[in-house]
Order: sequence, then C-alpha cells, then structure tokens
Amino acid sequence: MKDLQHLYYFESLLTEANNELVRQAQAQGGLALGYTCYHMPEVLLNLGKCFSVRLRAPRTGSMELATYYMSNATCEYARALLERGLEGGYKFLDALAGVDCCECMNRSMENMQLLKIEGTEKKSFFWSNIDVPCSDDEGCVAHFAEQLGRKVLKPLHESYGIDISEEAIREAVKEHNEVCRLITEIGNFRKLDNPTITGHEFHILTLISYTCPKHLIIDKLRETLEELKTREPDKKKNFRVKVVLIGSEIDDPELVSLIEDSGALVVADRYCYGSFPGRQELILSDDEPVLTQICRQYLQSSLCVRLCATHKVQKRLDYAAQLKDEYHADGIIYEQIKFCTYWSYERAFASHIIQNEYNIPTLSVDRPYMSRSSGQLRTRVQAFVESIEIKKIKAKKAGEVK
Amino acid sequence: MAYNPKTGKGLGNIYKAERRCTVRREWRGFRDTLYDYFRWLKMLGMLGAVLAPVLPQMMKGLTRYRWLVSYITTPAFVDRHTIGLRGYELRYTHLQFFVVLRNSAMTLRCILERDENLNPKSKKAAALRAKTVVFDEMMPIQIMNGFPTLKGISIQMLPIFEAGEIDQQANMYYIDAVEHYGLAADVCPLPAADSGCYIVDDYPRIGSAYISSSMPCDGSLASTMFSHRYFKMPSYQITPPQRFLETEVQEYAVKNLWGAVEFIEQQFNVKFDWDAFFEGVKRYNTECEYMLDKWDVNCTPYPQVCGAGLALHREYEMQIASSLDPAFVKYDAKVSKLMKKGYEKSKAADDKAKYRAIVWSCPAHYYSNFTYWAQNCWGIKTLVDMECMLSYHYYDEHDKEKVLLDMAKGYERMAMRSHSNGGYVNALDECWKMCEKFSANIVFMYNHVSCKNFAGLQGLFEDQARERGIHLIWIEHDLMDPRTVSRKAMRDRVNRYMTTVFRAEPLDPTLVDYDDDLTW
Repeated sequence: MKDLQHLYYFESLLTEANNELVRQAQAQGGLALGYTCYHMPEVLLNLGKCFSVRLRAPRTGSMELATYYMSNATCEYARALLERGLEGGYKFLDALAGVDCCECMNRSMENMQLLKIEGTEKKSFFWSNIDVPCSDDEGCVAHFAEQLGRKVLKPLHESYGIDISEEAIREAVKEHNEVCRLITEIGNFRKLDNPTITGHEFHILTLISYTCPKHLIIDKLRETLEELKTREPDKKKNFRVKVVLIGSEIDDPELVSLIEDSGALVVADRYCYGSFPGRQELILSDDEPVLTQICRQYLQSSLCVRLCATHKVQKRLDYAAQLKDEYHADGIIYEQIKFCTYWSYERAFASHIIQNEYNIPTLSVDRPYMSRSSGQLRTRVQAFVESIEIKKIKAKKAGEVK
Repeated sequence: MAYNPKTGKGLGNIYKAERRCTVRREWRGFRDTLYDYFRWLKMLGMLGAVLAPVLPQMMKGLTRYRWLVSYITTPAFVDRHTIGLRGYELRYTHLQFFVVLRNSAMTLRCILERDENLNPKSKKAAALRAKTVVFDEMMPIQIMNGFPTLKGISIQMLPIFEAGEIDQQANMYYIDAVEHYGLAADVCPLPAADSGCYIVDDYPRIGSAYISSSMPCDGSLASTMFSHRYFKMPSYQITPPQRFLETEVQEYAVKNLWGAVEFIEQQFNVKFDWDAFFEGVKRYNTECEYMLDKWDVNCTPYPQVCGAGLALHREYEMQIASSLDPAFVKYDAKVSKLMKKGYEKSKAADDKAKYRAIVWSCPAHYYSNFTYWAQNCWGIKTLVDMECMLSYHYYDEHDKEKVLLDMAKGYERMAMRSHSNGGYVNALDECWKMCEKFSANIVFMYNHVSCKNFAGLQGLFEDQARERGIHLIWIEHDLMDPRTVSRKAMRDRVNRYMTTVFRAEPLDPTLVDYDDDLTW
C-alpha cells in the first residue's frame, strides 16, 4: 500500500514524551497535564488551555534507578515511567493526574512524587491520586465524580485559573468527540476483507491522539481519514490471518508491527492505549451535571481487569467475541506485560474460556515492556498463525467431504 | 535458655533433615514441661470434642480434600510456636493459639456438616447451607453479628490461608495447578493458591450466597473471577475505597458496606438485627482494648506477648472470628491477667530484651514461627507485627450511623490492606512511627517477592531507614511457597546481618544452621 502522508511525522512524534507538538503547545501558553490510565478521563485534562499527555517512556533502555526503588519484580511499564521521570524526562509537565488503580502504577507515581521528579521550576505543579471505584453502580459514579472534582478540577482552577464550568467541560467534550469520531472512522477500515490500514499504522494514530495536543493533530487526522477513503490495498493480502489483540498496556507500535510481521494482522486493539475503549464518543444530556455523566460513561465503558464484578467479567468476554466477529478476525491474542497481576489473571482466565466456550482460537503470551525484538514472541505468533491456518484447511476439507 | 554450652546441644538438634516432625519434644524444666503436656492434651481433647460429631465427614473429607490432610499436623504447628518458650511467655502463647484453633475447629465442623460434596443427599446439610453466607478471603465477617440466625464462613481461610500456616507444603499443589492453567508465577501465591483450589475443584460447597471483596490487593481482587465462576451463587462485592485516609471517601464506603447488608437481607429474607450487632461491637471493642494493652506493655523495656502469638491471634480474632466468638474475650482476659503478672516479674528481674524489633510487610505463611526462631537464636524480641495492626479503633456502641462508619473504616483497615493501601504513608511513615513507639531499632522487613505493593516502595524504605539509623533486615520469602525461598534461606538473612553488622554471637548456635525443608 502507498504510505500514509503523515505517518512518518506521527511516528517521529512518538520517539519522545515531550515531543515537538507538546513543546509548541506549551510555547503558546498551553499547560501539559500528564496521566497514564484510562480511568483518568482525559477530557477533563483538556479544559481551556490545558492538554493531556498520556505518559510513555519511548526508547527505554536500562531501568537501574527505578529497579532500585521498585525492585525488579514490578511492572516494567511503571518502572520505565519512573526511570524516565528520574532522568528528568517529565519536567515539562504542569501537573500529573494519577490514579490508584493498580499497585505498580500507584507506587510508581508515589515514588515520582516523593523523589520530586517535577523539579523546582513549576511552582504551581500539582499531583493527584484518584481513588477509582471497582465497579460502575451509581454509588461508584458519585464517588468517582467527587474524587475528580476535588483532586483534578479544583486544583486546576485554583493553581492555574482554569475554567471548570459545565460549559467549559462541554466544550472539551466536543473536541474529544471529534477526535474519537475520526479515530473510529479510520479504525473502521480494519473491518474490510482486505483492510486498507494496518494495525501498526492505526496504533500510531491512536497513540498520537493520546500523547499530543488534540488541536494540533486534528487536521492531520482529518487528512489521513480522507486519504484512507481512496487508499488501495495491496492486491495480494500481506497477512495470513486477522487477530484481535487484547491485553495490558502497549505504547510501542513496534510490538504490533512484530505481530503483523509474523503474519497476523491486528484488526482490533483492545488494550490499554488502544482504541477499545478510549476512543468512543461521550454522549451528554442536559439532565444532570456533566461531570457525573462523564464519570458514569467512563466507568460503564471501562473494560479494565480491576473491575471484577461478575457483569464486568462477562462483559469483557462477550466484548472480545464481539470484536472478533465485527472485525472478521480469525483469533484472539491475549497479551500481558510481565509482572502485571491483573492481566496475568485475566489472560489465564479469559484465554481458556474464549478458547473452550466461545470456540475462538486464542494465543496467550506475556512480554516485556520493550518487546519489539523478542524472538520468542515472534515464534509464538508464527505458531499461532500456522495453527489457525491448519484449522481452516481442516475445516475446508471437512466441508468438501460433506 | 535451651542451649547447653557444656554439651553443645540446643534447639537446632531437635530437627533432622529427613524428618517431617521434630526428633523429640523439648525439655523445659519440670513445671513448664508439665504445663506444655497439659496444653497439648487439652488441645487434642478440644479437637476431638469439637470434631467428633462430624467424624464420618472428616474421614470422607480427608480423601476428598487435599488441604484437609494438613490439619492432622495441627499439634506440630503449636509445638513450632512454643519451642524455646518458658514461664509466662509459654502460657500466653498456648492460650493465644488455643482459642484460635478452637475457633478454627468449630469452623471446620461447620464446613464439614454443610458441605454438599460430603453430604450430597443430606437434608440437614441442605438446610444449613440455605442459612449460610460464604465470604471471600481476607475480609472480616463482622456484619454477620447482625444476622444471628445465619452463619457466615470465610471460605478460603481454612483450605488455603490457615492450612499454609499449619503445613508449609499445603499450598504448593494449588499454586502448581493455577500456574499450569496459565497464571504467571510472579503473582502473589495466596490468591494464586486460592484460584488453584477452584481450578482443581477443592473447595467445599457450603452456602447459598457469596460476598466477595477487593481486599487486600490486586491479586486478591483478580482471583474473584475464579471464585464467582466456581460458586455460581448470587453475589455481592464489597469494594472499600483505596484512599481511605480521606474523609470524603467514607460516604461511598458506608454505602458499599451497607449494600452487603441489604444483599443478605434480600437473599435470606431476614432483617438486620441491630441489638445483636451492637453486642458484637461491644465484644470487638473489648478485644481491641486487650490488644492495645498488649501493645502498651510491649512498648516498655519488658515486653510480654510477642511474636506470632500476638500477630496470628489478632489476625484470626479480628478477621475470621470477627467478634462472633465470645471465647476470644474470655481468653483475652486470661492472657491479660497473666501478662500483668509476667510484666511485674520481668521488671523485678530487670529481664530486658536483648534486641527489639518490629515486623513489617507481609510475613511468610509457611514460616509463621520465624520470630520465635529469631528470639531463640539471637535474642531478638518481636514487639509488634504489621499483620496484627489491622483495624484497632473503637466502634460506637449506640449510634447506628456512627457504627456503620466505624465498621467501614474497620473493613478498610484489614490485614495487609491497612498498610498496603491508602497511599505510601500507611506503609512507610507508619513503619518509622511504630519503631519510635516500640523503641525498636530493628525492622524485620519481609520482602515478599511476589508482593508488588511493597516492592514498589523498596528503595524508599532503604533510603529512609538509612536516614533514621534503623537496621532494616530484608528477609525474602514467597508467602505460601517455600520452594522459592526456604525457611533456611530466610534465617540466613538474619544470621548474616547479625554476624556482620552487629557482630553478635548467637544465643543458641545450633539454631544458626539446620535443615527443616521437609518439616510441616
């Protein structure tokens, strides 16, 4: 396929957290608010002159300092962020909106806070640590709204004079929804029999939408969408099977690339930093406070593994199967970053149920944070691709016999 | 002291590498040995009396449930925790353990007489199941004080939690089962063993509604995926807030907890009995008072109720018995009376502890008598254990709204959760505060290799201990899996620290190096 016009530029933006567009927005008076988790509603970090930056630690090498502080038995993503923070890589931030969702990320944030990674220049810098409830009933919604109001909106207003009114939040939701619409429409090309966008390309676009100021990328996303409408796929399919990728945090598009190079086209991204969930529009009514509505939608749409109420567990299983059908995938890959407790359980649990009860071919793998060159992972995916192909051949033969 | 310098014989000689139990019992002098035998007989008598009515189910259960077999070694469990103890300390420990084991035996009887697997056709068992609420692990069942006509049972406590403390080999099979299923080996072995127990269908079926929880950690929360699927019962999830030091979160906490009460009311068609509940609250407050007394004495130069006798007792009293068993108050009163005498005697003899330590982070289940070993070998008294510092605030005894808030705060401060959740201050700052309170300059810092929560603060602990001049002795363990870090390897960490940093000589050199990998 012909290269997408902005793809290389987007890819270059992903090589650092404090990228060109972040610097540009800050030079224009913008405030960069860092966050890591879906449970910190990013729309609230995009009020007025604020813009959200979902934190990554691209080009991570050694993590010696972070390993001293957090031991070598904790999530590498959480450690990579701490290492980058200790190196001074997040000094550009004006606030860090953390959540108390998983142990490692929580401790990573607390280490950053105690070790003062923000430096001394940002006098109004503030930290927040949101208590995210473990379910989605109305009690949880009220609790979540109280936390966000007190720990994010209030300090934004008090420290930076940001307008946190209903109107201001609705304005931010509009921009958020515009980005979500674009990403969703772009993502829909993955439903084609021979998709005109690869999982790797799509992941780059999604990541850009999480890590760059939205007003600076929205035009380019629009152009990319237009480009995709006329983009011709390669005549010969350059994949052998299609898969849904489900699991823990993936902020490195090269991991998706590795999977695709092994013959499995990633047609749906159900992982942290992916678009399911995260790039769905927020639908607001005029009947109740907008913050409550946002909180409800975030909690109800959350597919995070920490929500273990039975209806949530079932929803995750059904949703995986639904994505497989909607995007015409041949199988599902469950992945987890090493030392992630939640995904370790979900991966073991769901991969068995999806395989045995939903009859969907499933691969279950764990991986390091930087896994772009993992030969072991490549071999596992290749074997999975072959196993699906063999199943297809057998099914075809069985059909012919009948 | 048990070591005889003339003969060179000491407590280490009662272990043999190839033996599962000790070679012989310890001679403690006439009075103490006689007392020890008396308690031993009393415990056997108690176990026989409590379990005799369910003897057929017990025999059947031994062939059905792998974990149940571990309970045959219960006397050895008590022996392990009393080795080297003399006088009052021996008596406190026996009393503390007796009441815990009595409560466990009664729970075991309840399980055996209800279990559908063991009593498939019994109408009596079915009727009992219809009145039983099953609770998730690591969660107190205090709310059951308000349902005197129902029975609440913490389902995982006997098959996994306590079994692992009684027999270090008990949990391995379940851990292996879940790892074969695909769970990563780096997660905490406690919820892993829980999940494994579900996978191999080794949990009894004893109730008709299930209350799960998000306590105390990520692994525990995630393992409820398995339990919900296994029990297939109507369920409710108690999910206390994480940041529980904030006043604003309590409204949600109370609502969420009261939701559990309403759930039970609906499922069993009963009303919450406030009078009965307040009776339980009174017992809880009395238990707290006794525990705080023990702490106060341990803050003096003459500590009395120390080590696992203090920690395990409080954990079981608060979390499992949850003020539902009046025997705890009775035994607390006995220990308290003895403690005061013991204190006077120690003071008169100026019998001070050689080294004063506290235990921090999660201790190894498979080596719950570790602190007694440290006392016998090096003279290090463990004055308090993080595990016993779960909820200890008083509950209101009259006001319904206030008591619910108090109880919600109690649930937020459960074992492990009280320090691992709610922000770093509960783990870090609290540790130094306790060192100061108990005048301890040694911290047995349990480095549970699969606990990401405490691992995430490792460097900060190290830095801050250095700043304060506190001896932080890191002791690796894997909670329920002695194959990862053996008991011997745990002891070696202390041995190395004591010889290299303190330049100390062991009180009993035979305890420095011995092999107990095979023992229960």
